[in-house]
Amino acid sequence: MRVTVCFYSYFKDLTGCASTTEELADGSTLDDLFKALVVRFPKLGAMQRATLMAVGLDYQNRTYVLSEGDEVSLFPPVQGG
Amino acid sequence: MKKQVTITAEPINEPALLSQRVMSPGMGAVVCFLGVVRGTEGDATISALEYEVFQSMAEHQINLLFDELARRWPIESVRLVHRIGLVKANEPSLWVEVIAPHRGEAFAACQWLIDELKRVVPIWKKPVIGGP
Repeated sequence: MRVTVCFYSYFKDLTGCASTTEELADGSTLDDLFKALVVRFPKLGAMQRATLMAVGLDYQNRTYVLSEGDEVSLFPPVQGG
Repeated sequence: MKKQVTITAEPINEPALLSQRVMSPGMGAVVCFLGVVRGTEGDATISALEYEVFQSMAEHQINLLFDELARRWPIESVRLVHRIGLVKANEPSLWVEVIAPHRGEAFAACQWLIDELKRVVPIWKKPVIGGP
């Protein structure tokens, strides 16, 4: 299956792009996706504990099982206000 | 509960927001908060902050916070404006208004909302160093 991944804040600098797509095996989780992204974008590896992940408009944890066409967003801790 | 969220690149227009305030006779407390860009960060002089937002998720998350706010306190109205893009030092980036029957719940709800906004709403800021 294929999912779309968007990066925000300085994650765009770490990856050199604002979005990408990733091919994953059926049943893959957000954790599987993150590991695959670290292979392509090694600088993300250092951010593992500080990475927030959302599917669509809602936060999800690393065990969330992805579906074909999901839109995933990765970003650092938020700083509004 | 009346709720309104605005995420905008335009300056926050306090007089216009105040002129749009609506309160029923049972309401006795209005708490307004204005978050202003500080001109310093540590030892550095800040001329502005550049705000970035994941807008659709930010609006969704703020509406989830409004729903939780309504469950926790008897709030009649909550309005929130967050400015994005370049916001100069000494200019406001956040405006929040909470209207409730009494000051206790209005203060508590406003404090909680801003704390949660800083925890879950996908907005980021980058300092622009140096004077104008």
